[in-house]
Amino acid sequence: MKTRFQGLSGLSWLSLALLISWLILPLIPLALWSVSRSWFFPDILPSSYSLRAWSYVFSTTSEVLPALGQTALIALGATCISVIIGVPAGRALGLYQFRGKAVIEILILAPMIVPGIAVALGLHVVFLKLGLAGSAIGVMIVHLIPTLPYMVLVMSGVFSNYNPAAEAQARSLGASPLQAFYYVTLPAILPGLMIGSLFTFLVSWSQYILTLLIGGGRVVTLPLLLFNFASAGRNDITGAISMIYILPGVLLLLVAARYLTGRNGNLEGMHRI
Amino acid sequence: MRRNLFANSVIATRLAAFLILLAIMAPLMAKAADKQSFNNWEEVVEAARGGTVNWFMWGGADNINEYVSGYIGSELKDRYDITLKRVGINDTAEAVNIVIGEKQAGVDDAGSVDLIWINGGNFRTMKQGDLLFCGYHSLLPNNKLVNWQDPSIAHDFGLPVDECEVPWNRAQFAFAYDSARTENPPKSIAELIDWVKENPGEFTYPASTDFNGSVFIRHVFYHAAGGPEALLGDFDQEKFDAIAPKAWAILNEMEPYLWREGETYPNAIASLAQLFANREVALYFDYDPAIFGINVENGIFPETTRSYGLQDGTIGNTNYVAIPYNSPNKAATMVAANYLLSFDAQYEKAKSDVWGAAPAIDVSKLDDDAAARFAALPRHPAVIAPEVLAQKSLPELHPDWISAIEKGWQENVGN
Repeated sequence: MKTRFQGLSGLSWLSLALLISWLILPLIPLALWSVSRSWFFPDILPSSYSLRAWSYVFSTTSEVLPALGQTALIALGATCISVIIGVPAGRALGLYQFRGKAVIEILILAPMIVPGIAVALGLHVVFLKLGLAGSAIGVMIVHLIPTLPYMVLVMSGVFSNYNPAAEAQARSLGASPLQAFYYVTLPAILPGLMIGSLFTFLVSWSQYILTLLIGGGRVVTLPLLLFNFASAGRNDITGAISMIYILPGVLLLLVAARYLTGRNGNLEGMHRI
Repeated sequence: MRRNLFANSVIATRLAAFLILLAIMAPLMAKAADKQSFNNWEEVVEAARGGTVNWFMWGGADNINEYVSGYIGSELKDRYDITLKRVGINDTAEAVNIVIGEKQAGVDDAGSVDLIWINGGNFRTMKQGDLLFCGYHSLLPNNKLVNWQDPSIAHDFGLPVDECEVPWNRAQFAFAYDSARTENPPKSIAELIDWVKENPGEFTYPASTDFNGSVFIRHVFYHAAGGPEALLGDFDQEKFDAIAPKAWAILNEMEPYLWREGETYPNAIASLAQLFANREVALYFDYDPAIFGINVENGIFPETTRSYGLQDGTIGNTNYVAIPYNSPNKAATMVAANYLLSFDAQYEKAKSDVWGAAPAIDVSKLDDDAAARFAALPRHPAVIAPEVLAQKSLPELHPDWISAIEKGWQENVGN
């Protein structure tokens, strides 16, 4: 680790400092708003403080804490399903040439090109018919539309730099298919898998319109509550909910950062992506 | 913008639903909605016991949320064993779209929306689309507290209510100013025009896409038309073409003297509130004057905020709660709607530290004791008394007029 940091040039340090301030600075006004009672232009700091926004956020009326759990559950579920679908799909796209590959790639990218609302309005009727509208499961499934492209794209990038011969070697040495996956494939794709999962989790975490339409208001996630107050101009409550809203992102980033910066021979594939 | 988006989205939903229905669901027959019928109130209350009410309402005010989830929720639980679930939304059209989608999918008796806080164009959409449960007013005991002779209650933006919704609040447009900064705020649209020229940069109003911006523009329209009388009733293109140029001329004449020389207009009333709070502009206005007191209590507006109506009157409306036709909990929802109209609920709501909303019931129909309690309610100094405001009340226009004015403003003033 030490040698790596010493190796950073002045420019790298500058960009690191910029990145950190870019991430942290916008949060300072939010944090201040959440404890302010009145804050008038052009004052630099609020003229009076209050914890009222926080007491509302933690009250049962606001439903912020149940919504936090609900949002996390949905995002985790959407991530798990994305992994199950995205890893084999990414492997097929990254490793093999087959007829119609270009068409499939475009289809996978389509949700990133077509606006979500156009898809969601049609899907609402389908979900109602299937009895999935208004349920957390339905919301989880509809979140796959924006999350899957990220997962599949990252995984196909990972697999395009992956040599499946290593699996064949493991198999010839007596490993079962599961063992070969666990001891050979998984370590090699793990950093990419982490990045894909992180994307997926955060994309699901930030969904508004899909959740609103498919959840029908009965599946309350944090973005829905946040938008209620943001559009009503309640900066204090918006600030307090925002502080809670960004927590999982920050936590995940810290956890993932360990995987991504750790020195690991299996990472070599990643550097080429 | 959002309203247009939802208008398009309705069309998109219909198209998509039509195709999907044709393709896959044609063989399935939509179940006919069986209209629940009750003979008397006791039957309704009995059927309501243990029920749930999913109430979709704008969720951007913590005090209103507290009143509904806290006070109304616990009273309904204690009195009738009904569970109230408040669903906060950003725009009433979101709830309307859910019901439209359900109707298209043939969900006729298991809808997800039981009650909607509604009025105006959204009510029109639902009533004309047969999306509402109607004809139950005679069952509600508290219906007798409502003055149905008052045309501003019996008509929702010009459309007869026809027992399809229950009044909840009254609101009337008013201006607010900081008495410590502004001594003589303009008391009529004519005075405002001069005042804006004398105080450049001190006034602006939200674009016509905003609910409150739109009602301000209607006041100017009434002024240009010499009063609302000529504009009542169905939309009339000839009348519109005669009056509109005058209104646009007034607004265009004001434009260079507005905040930021009128280069841009706030896109939402919340932005105007922020400008007023920051003392960038001297005047604020809102369809619900209770918000002035709430903003002072929240530390957003200065303590010296005061409010007033216009000499020629300001536009007032009633807002309601309505039950979608496919609500699976009609009995419990009727009990909830009836309770909202009760003296207790309306009195609690009128307290300035709870909400300060003007009652939808006619206080003179209450017994003396209850009426006296209403009269004795302390007023917030920032909020003009509703009865003073109500002395000069102007009617709302038919939604077709409103959309024509909103569209005309965008083409002629806000471009």
